[in-house]
Amino acid sequence: MSLVIKSEKRDIFGKNASRRIRRAGMVPAILYGEGAASVPLILDKKDIIRILKSETGENTIFKIAFDGEEKDVMIKDLQIDQTSDELLHADLIQIAMDKEIRVAIPIELAGEAIGVKTEGGFVDFMTREVEIECFPANIPEHITIDISALHLHQSMKIADIVPPEGVKLISEPNTVIVLIQVPHEEKVEAKPEEEVVAEAPVEAAEPEVIKKERKKEEEEKEEK
Amino acid sequence: MLMPKKVKFRKSQRGRMRGKARRGNTLSSGEFGLQALEPCWLTARQLEAGRITITRFIKRRGKLWLRAFPWKPVTKKPTEVRMGKGKGDPEFWVDVVRPGRIIYELEGVTEEVAREAMRLASHKLPIKTRFISREYRELR
Repeated sequence: MSLVIKSEKRDIFGKNASRRIRRAGMVPAILYGEGAASVPLILDKKDIIRILKSETGENTIFKIAFDGEEKDVMIKDLQIDQTSDELLHADLIQIAMDKEIRVAIPIELAGEAIGVKTEGGFVDFMTREVEIECFPANIPEHITIDISALHLHQSMKIADIVPPEGVKLISEPNTVIVLIQVPHEEKVEAKPEEEVVAEAPVEAAEPEVIKKERKKEEEEKEEK
Repeated sequence: MLMPKKVKFRKSQRGRMRGKARRGNTLSSGEFGLQALEPCWLTARQLEAGRITITRFIKRRGKLWLRAFPWKPVTKKPTEVRMGKGKGDPEFWVDVVRPGRIIYELEGVTEEVAREAMRLASHKLPIKTRFISREYRELR
């Protein structure tokens, strides 16, 4: 909460300017929200990475200082180069501490399911985040669910979560979070060489062409 | 071998593979993934070879997702045929993979098992790849 990040207003835009900013170890960013006009900013990349590494991660509320004023903000979106993992741009959203906001919170699993321990299943973690609505001061770091009682083919849904006080769940209650599944068995059959040769033409078979089908249908209609 | 059930056109133009993957570049279902770092035409055979390698290595554990699908037909003229007389017949199917694309995803196995399975699968692919995980990502 007390974390203050210094930034400066950005008056240079476009690809070339952004690249120059990044080369200097900074990140182009934009601040918007709460009805205020959007403000282009330049942030220190290390500050953003420090926030992301903190326990609250992307949901950290911090203050941003520019032009002699401080504003409560949080990270709304990040642009990351998926191959080089380079941080390219940050979207910050201004928040009012007295208004409820919607955020996505990570779900953490606790315990080892019975279905995994004794019944040979594995944990299929289907939904990793849950959307909640609460005051910014009440945002939890994560929501932990205990899966130790789950048997094979049993699941836990959003509706099974007991939210912390002051937190309202927004996600669809029937969404499955975690399911204890049976692994599929790969059937490996030793095929004699003759069979392999016989299969070759199957591979070369062509899929159905949609257009032809339509033409045929049209022709049939015309005939009628 | 993987190929579409229905297509709109039997043959397609080759196209280009410029830029990075704009879609399919983040983990969607699994905990671990194998990400392409180079562009290529990934054939159905290569994709299948990698899939078999992973499923054999993880044995009866975990779940595997294929995030690439060979949707593009590649044609070839028969041997000893003179040029001209039209485009050849479809020979095999490929997916156009650009850097950043996730090819396989795994769930329900330990990181060591996933890492080794992906390493073995990567040897079946014609491109450089890297192992990625949800847990740890060092931003630069």
